[in-house]
Amino acid sequence: MPVINWGLLMPELVIALTLLIVLVFDLFDSISKTVLGWMTIVGAGIALWVSIQMHQAGTVGTQFNEMFKVDNFSLFFNIIFLVSTILVALISMSYLDRNDRKQGPYYLLILLATLGMMLMAAGNELIIVFLGLELMSLSLYVLAGYFRDNPASSEAGMKYLLLGAFASAFFLYGIALIYGGAGTTSVPAIAEAITAENKSPLLLAGMFLLVVGFGFKVAIVPFHQWAPDVYEGAPTTIAAFISAGPKAAGFAAFLRIFMEALPNLQVEWGSVLIVLAMLTMTVGNVIAIAQTNIKRMLAYSSIAHAGYVLIGLAAANNDGISSAMLYLLVYCVMNIGAFGVVILAKTEDGESLMISDYAGLGLRKPLLAMFMTIMLLSLAGFPPTAGFVGKFYIFKSAVQAGHIWLVIIGAINTAISAFYYLRVVVTMYMREPEEELSFMSYPSTLVVGLVLAAIGVLLIGILPSLMLTPAQNSVF
Amino acid sequence: MLLSIVIFLPLLGVIAIALLRGLGASAVKGIALVIGLLTFVISLGLYTGFDATTATFQNVTQEEWIPGLGTKYHIGIDGISLWLVLLTTFLTPVCILAAWNSVEKGLSGFMMSLLALETGMLGVFCALDLFLFFVFWESMLIPMYFLIGIWGGERRIYATVKFVLYTMAGSALMLVGILALYFQNNNSFDFTTLSGPFEHSHLLFLAFFIAFAIKVPLFPFHTWLPDAHVEAPTAGSVILAGVLLKMGTYGIVRFCLPLFPDAAVQFTPLIVTLAVIGIIYGALVAMVQPDLKKLVAYSSVSHLGFVVLGLFSQDPRGIQGSVLQMINHGLSTGALFLLVGMIYERRHSRMIVDFGGLAKRMPIFATIFMIVTLSSIGLPGLNGFVGEFMILAGSFVTDAFSKWYVVFAATGVILAAVYMLWMFQRVMFGTLDKTNEELPDLNAREVVVMLPLLLFIFWIGVYPKPFLSKMEKSVGLVVTQVQQTEPAMGRAEKRMLQDAQLVLQETQRAQREDIEKEAETK
Repeated sequence: MPVINWGLLMPELVIALTLLIVLVFDLFDSISKTVLGWMTIVGAGIALWVSIQMHQAGTVGTQFNEMFKVDNFSLFFNIIFLVSTILVALISMSYLDRNDRKQGPYYLLILLATLGMMLMAAGNELIIVFLGLELMSLSLYVLAGYFRDNPASSEAGMKYLLLGAFASAFFLYGIALIYGGAGTTSVPAIAEAITAENKSPLLLAGMFLLVVGFGFKVAIVPFHQWAPDVYEGAPTTIAAFISAGPKAAGFAAFLRIFMEALPNLQVEWGSVLIVLAMLTMTVGNVIAIAQTNIKRMLAYSSIAHAGYVLIGLAAANNDGISSAMLYLLVYCVMNIGAFGVVILAKTEDGESLMISDYAGLGLRKPLLAMFMTIMLLSLAGFPPTAGFVGKFYIFKSAVQAGHIWLVIIGAINTAISAFYYLRVVVTMYMREPEEELSFMSYPSTLVVGLVLAAIGVLLIGILPSLMLTPAQNSVF
Repeated sequence: MLLSIVIFLPLLGVIAIALLRGLGASAVKGIALVIGLLTFVISLGLYTGFDATTATFQNVTQEEWIPGLGTKYHIGIDGISLWLVLLTTFLTPVCILAAWNSVEKGLSGFMMSLLALETGMLGVFCALDLFLFFVFWESMLIPMYFLIGIWGGERRIYATVKFVLYTMAGSALMLVGILALYFQNNNSFDFTTLSGPFEHSHLLFLAFFIAFAIKVPLFPFHTWLPDAHVEAPTAGSVILAGVLLKMGTYGIVRFCLPLFPDAAVQFTPLIVTLAVIGIIYGALVAMVQPDLKKLVAYSSVSHLGFVVLGLFSQDPRGIQGSVLQMINHGLSTGALFLLVGMIYERRHSRMIVDFGGLAKRMPIFATIFMIVTLSSIGLPGLNGFVGEFMILAGSFVTDAFSKWYVVFAATGVILAAVYMLWMFQRVMFGTLDKTNEELPDLNAREVVVMLPLLLFIFWIGVYPKPFLSKMEKSVGLVVTQVQQTEPAMGRAEKRMLQDAQLVLQETQRAQREDIEKEAETK
């Protein structure tokens, strides 16, 4: 009978317990359904607090035959996931109310997806990573198609499911080939099995398939085609969610497997990642310029941001890992914030999804426009926002690794991206609205979510050490 | 501590205005002006406490900021940045006062942008940490972007986006340069510990120089400037011409010259050629402009060409002249933009053809305009003369480049007289158009705006010594840093070459003697 150290599993247990409570309470019709949202927030909040405590204590340990590994790396990613979940839950409440949707399954699926992400970050075994990936993905497929009667949403769900299933198949095939080459699926054991002499073609093929699988999940060019359609069709809150936590989870497993299991193949995957990073940034940013729909624009921008994170991965040094982690945290906060404004900027006769709908927002809704501006400036990487620090740190790690050209392309991309982010700001502040639109009142939960995101973005921007030091302490 | 107060006091004003939004227009203006004036008064303390006998940085504050990134909050000033700090704190309240009645919408936003801009610019001039420098350099873009984009003219959006994208494209390269320097500086962004020679110094020099050249703007990077100037509101134009462009020339004298002297010397012919082209091209284009603001904008391209010429002269007089000319240009061109703004507010036109004979109707305006015009041309006794003369004199005696450059550059002075005086003649003399008969002369507020500028225009023109003496040591340090490496090597090489030639001559002579001896013995 193996001894189970429950303390190590605390964040995951809290989330599992919360989702059970949500499941049970959803059965009672007499309970106001917004309570479920608050339960999600409280549950994720407790898990977040526990994760932070464990991170500060520097908890390390493995569980279940070393299949499950808790260290500062997985705990830092837990913080990213839980922050995303809390923010998404905050911006979801009024959105669901407004669209008159069932709330129980929604929060349940979000919590399940969160649990899947945490498993991915803590997986010390390819099979566990795959389990987490599927738990997360299946929940997301349903969430993307959550507005059943909306054709766009159903289409998004279907598309995501089909392409996601392909990606999972690639991923599983990659695991199989690596097992064939290394004789094990345990992360540390694979690292031991791969030596400079033993680089069998099986391993290389498996590695490339893993890149493809992860590439789909985190939307790297050329595996990104699903992202704009899914973001556009899915409920806006879910688009925010998909662009944040799951992307971070994909990168968590990406980092864990490539840095810890396949470090001896770094020569091979390093150059692949450099090419992918260049492609991803450039394609994402250039296509984003042509978008007129703000959700599609944010979709392409999120593709570009995956490219920036890849710079950190390609650097493959300690700073590269921690800069990727810091950037993912920052990116989650600012991206959910931007989507939050998209939700808030809804008019009486529908969501305003065209960028041109934002004309004149700066004068009519100064507070909302200010939030959007902060988020967009951070996405564009202007100081003194968190986006700047994150990007700077990533570039620094790449220069350290000698990837000067990658950094130059990344920096030029930053200038390109400024064009389309600033275009939204231009529309908000410098153009007159074509027709008078009436706006909804501010739902308090959404505003709380936005304020938290804005404070986070500015605080990390001005005092980066708050999150930088933890990120630097989280390299496995 | 004093310096930090000067830098961040305007930001405090931004927060105050943001919190007191409901107070109404006059309160917002009042807060902005008080903060602006207070910042200027406090910054005078930097001047009085400045020790001109040393080239080291003064008023230094050094605090841990982001140890994980290797950056510090490290600020300080020397004799060069002192003047740019004072210019910034001086021009900002002038701009606030100038914009007193001209902002119709979003007044609080306007004042907030102006004050935030001041913090950004001051930070650029004071930062002694490359990361901090870059933070200020980039963050100053946002308020300027809003100033042009919201309160600008008809094509403001095109102009503001062009301005931001040009600057960002340049700073993208500078960012790479900064990171590359970091790893050659024992993993530190500290400017004061940077000492060359650096690896790939030519590439690093270009990475920095292109970013600064775009800002200056040096020909052929200047195309954003006329657009931005014409579309910007008056206060924006004044700050843009007065201070923002100086960030480029400041960057050259602070980073490009001392850090990469060998590359600076090698690129000097190219850069000086571009500067001279800019001087003449800017002047010629200014001459044919029908729009007053565009004329002043192109004259900036010409004037900034002089500054760049002086900076690369490797001569203490030339560089001092350049630094002084940065201030002069800020005062004169700032004043010109203010005057153009004043006439635009009355007539809602900036076209030269719409005016004529204004001198009769607006004598005070005409007088002030005349003084500023002459200062911009460089009339002896006014500030522009001192700067341009020192630049030309320094450039003439230097070995850094051929005297022909100076000859061509000097034609810029003549051309300046042509386009400025011709413009003045067409606007002020001739027949007064009927539509202009009702134009009121300057009011008391506008005269108050102009008087301090005129004071300094005369002061620097008549007695520039207090200005020059404070910057002498710092400029001298830059000159020695530039001359230490490459020219010294060049000299050594020359000496070696001469030695080799002597040896050769000696051996040839010996051979010849041998041959002669042989012939004799035969």
